[in-house]
Amino acid sequence: MKKLLAVLIAVAFVIGLTAPAAASTPGELIIWADDNRVEVLEDLVPEFEEEFGVPVTLVEKAFGDILDDLAVEAPAGEGPDIFIGAHDWLGELIENGLVEPLDVPGVFYDDFEEVALDAFTYEENLYGVPYTLESVALIYNRDLVPEPPETFEEFAALVREISAEEDKYGYTMPQPDPYHTYPFMTALGGYVFHYDAEEGVYDPYDIGLNNEGAVEGLEMLNDLYADESVPYVDFDTMEGLLTTGDLAMTVGGPWLQPALDDAGIDYGIAPIPTMKGENPRPFVGVHGFMISSFSENRVLAQALLTELVATEDTMYRIYQAEPRPPVHKAAAELAADDEITQGFLESGAEGTPMPDIPEMAAVWGAWEDALSLIFTQEQGVQAAMDDAVEQIRASIE
Amino acid sequence: MASFDKKHILKIALLAIFNALAVWSAIILFVQRNYPILAVLVVGIIIINYVYLSSKTYPAKYILPGTVFMILLVVFPLLYTVYISFTNYGTGHILNKEQAISRIEAQYYRPEDPREFDFKAFKQDEIEELKLLFEDQEDGRLFLGIEGEIEEVIREDERLLDTTGDGEIDEINGNQRLERADIIQNVAVIEQMRFSYNDSEMRMRDLNSFALYRPAFEYDEARDVMVDLRTNEEYRPVEGRFTNDEGERLSPGFRTYLGWDNYQELITDPRVSRPFLRVFVWTFQWALLSVITTFGLGLFLAILLNDQSMKLVKLYRVLLILPYAIPAFISVLIWRGMFNPTVGIVNRMLVNFGLSSIPWLHNIFWTRVALVLVNLWLGFPYMMLLSMGALQSISGNLYEAAIIDGASRWQQFRYITLPLVLVALGPLLIASFAFNFNNFNVIYLFNEGRPAIAGAQTPAGGTDILISYTYRLSFEAGRGSDFGLAAAVTMLIFFITAAVTWFNFKFTGALEEVKENE
Repeated sequence: MKKLLAVLIAVAFVIGLTAPAAASTPGELIIWADDNRVEVLEDLVPEFEEEFGVPVTLVEKAFGDILDDLAVEAPAGEGPDIFIGAHDWLGELIENGLVEPLDVPGVFYDDFEEVALDAFTYEENLYGVPYTLESVALIYNRDLVPEPPETFEEFAALVREISAEEDKYGYTMPQPDPYHTYPFMTALGGYVFHYDAEEGVYDPYDIGLNNEGAVEGLEMLNDLYADESVPYVDFDTMEGLLTTGDLAMTVGGPWLQPALDDAGIDYGIAPIPTMKGENPRPFVGVHGFMISSFSENRVLAQALLTELVATEDTMYRIYQAEPRPPVHKAAAELAADDEITQGFLESGAEGTPMPDIPEMAAVWGAWEDALSLIFTQEQGVQAAMDDAVEQIRASIE
Repeated sequence: MASFDKKHILKIALLAIFNALAVWSAIILFVQRNYPILAVLVVGIIIINYVYLSSKTYPAKYILPGTVFMILLVVFPLLYTVYISFTNYGTGHILNKEQAISRIEAQYYRPEDPREFDFKAFKQDEIEELKLLFEDQEDGRLFLGIEGEIEEVIREDERLLDTTGDGEIDEINGNQRLERADIIQNVAVIEQMRFSYNDSEMRMRDLNSFALYRPAFEYDEARDVMVDLRTNEEYRPVEGRFTNDEGERLSPGFRTYLGWDNYQELITDPRVSRPFLRVFVWTFQWALLSVITTFGLGLFLAILLNDQSMKLVKLYRVLLILPYAIPAFISVLIWRGMFNPTVGIVNRMLVNFGLSSIPWLHNIFWTRVALVLVNLWLGFPYMMLLSMGALQSISGNLYEAAIIDGASRWQQFRYITLPLVLVALGPLLIASFAFNFNNFNVIYLFNEGRPAIAGAQTPAGGTDILISYTYRLSFEAGRGSDFGLAAAVTMLIFFITAAVTWFNFKFTGALEEVKENE
């Protein structure tokens, strides 16, 4: 009988392939969201269903899976109407033909922070309703750092002073990690792709990762690695040191909050120290709701986003479910008392949106390699960054 | 069919359930017009029923389930990989051509005079066709939209009735005005409605309004070109993209057959060919070292545990199998932390013992050493288990005879244990070699193929093996993922692994014992 059972399992497998999963059908809405957003939407959806008479299905997905799942399921007719995602997916989504531009009244724009709307705008079209902005800031342990340093000189002196103590580290950050290192490269003029603000487009052939400003900023940071005041560690190790209270400062984002709170660390958020008086500009990532181009309910989906999601109440609830800086102005005001959130918001206000063109895929690997060579003192900053840019160019062309 | 015993009834019942499910999925496939899979399924149903109902096909009953699984899980993915390797499937080429055309044709732009209209919908119960009344948001002009045509009307038109007297029109020719909730119920119909207005198309914008749009592109099927309606420029399909004469390309692109292009790229692209030899040699060394070290330690421990004078054998066995029970994903990441040169425990211990710290993860040689050590930790329990089994099967008489002849322990091992264990485990060692040849997890999780090589023009790291390097090439490529290239690389690696394995079998004669037994 075992063999028959085996055949049955095989058949179940075939059926699994053919049975339509929840697919976009006229008059029904399907939303893909991660656990935190699903939690909020679960409370709100019954209201919407009641008012609109339209059933809404929530599908919980890991945030990082949404982009890949969409590419497979949407063209097969099994995708959602609405999905959440990061603004820097836009280039790929548009190139793949998977996202539909929004067509919303002008008043909608007044409710949101400009940087968030800019991030979700691609060649003149708005593609998403943003709900949060994330960027990195200086996170410091108040027990070790009573007053956060404002300039890089103060910062470096403090790092060396603390690192001189037994088993304490003044500063470290995940490496090789372009995302966290980027602010130090931008203060003095580095950039990834040149952005033409008038046209609203990036030029993938104008790469500024090895320009004078980027190199000088990296050299200032690397001095701390070179004299071993800063250990070269990966993310997990950094987080470990931070939560045991042995690490005084790091550059990180809101995702470190839960671990810090659990460990009972008394921490503060401050802007990343200025370099020669210039502000470092971290990457800003904006998350939002988008509409699938395979949706059979463009108008309904948009109505749900404008009438249910883009409201002060919903945006504030999203913030409460996971305290990340809201970009809806009214909701942000409600969250104004939260020092930590304000700290990240201020740091993010100095930032630039992460480029959303597909060419970004070519950047990370080469950039990581260069940083690993620099901070392990295997290669000079200029030479390593020149090689990286060379590799990126070769890959894009 | 003489005796209807219980077993027989159960068989018929299970087969009936199977058939019911199969027919059900066949219907779904038919509705979805997925004919190729439907054909496979129908043939499958017939074969399975024949095999289990006919008495002539007795042996096939045992082979069939395995065959089904093999086709589903091995043959199908293999063929699919071959197919993908001849296409440009990847970022920008996800959709098929029809889907891409309809996406491009769905792109609209707003005309210079971007009018917007509030609308009301009217419906008579018996007649399905909706009637729409539009009011220009700017100048308040009224338009009546019936059966795809619009005509301008005046407020005093006799067809427009205000029965309740509240200043709002709520009836047209016996059609009642729909409330918002009813509009939502009919939104799918209204969304499809198009009216032409001054060379523009008027269509639904949101639940309250219509607006003017113009289609940006039109596909000319006869000539297979996409025409930009604003500039009359023509875009021809080139490698899965509509491209104009200046080389500008439209999004989205589509999947298309590329022939041998992906394979050609593998040969001609210097990013592949330049580091190939270096990566290949290390891949080979890595696989070989992995097999030798894990087998060596596994066999050694198995012999120890096999010794009669050993105490607490069960406890040791459990402890030694533990590494095998922890998912490699977790343990590799833990090892990565322990090997961290500055804060890792390995270097701290070395320093405490008065030795100098070692640049694990930063230096190519030492990273390779660390990788082999980590893989040894991950892999020896498996080899130990295999060896324990093989040792059990060696007759004690052989050792007795050897001892009488005065053989030393080493001679017993060298001339009895090792040859007999190798006979039993030879094929498994070759399989282990092939596995480690493609052991992406350990390489990538431990150090992502790094350390990077200073001055390299290609992104191959110092510990990248073929599979991890091609992962980088295919998924961190210039414009996102390139599944077509990845599939081509997979084919290449498949042939290399197959050749190496074949050579190993041939060279070591590992299968000969099996043949003799036939």
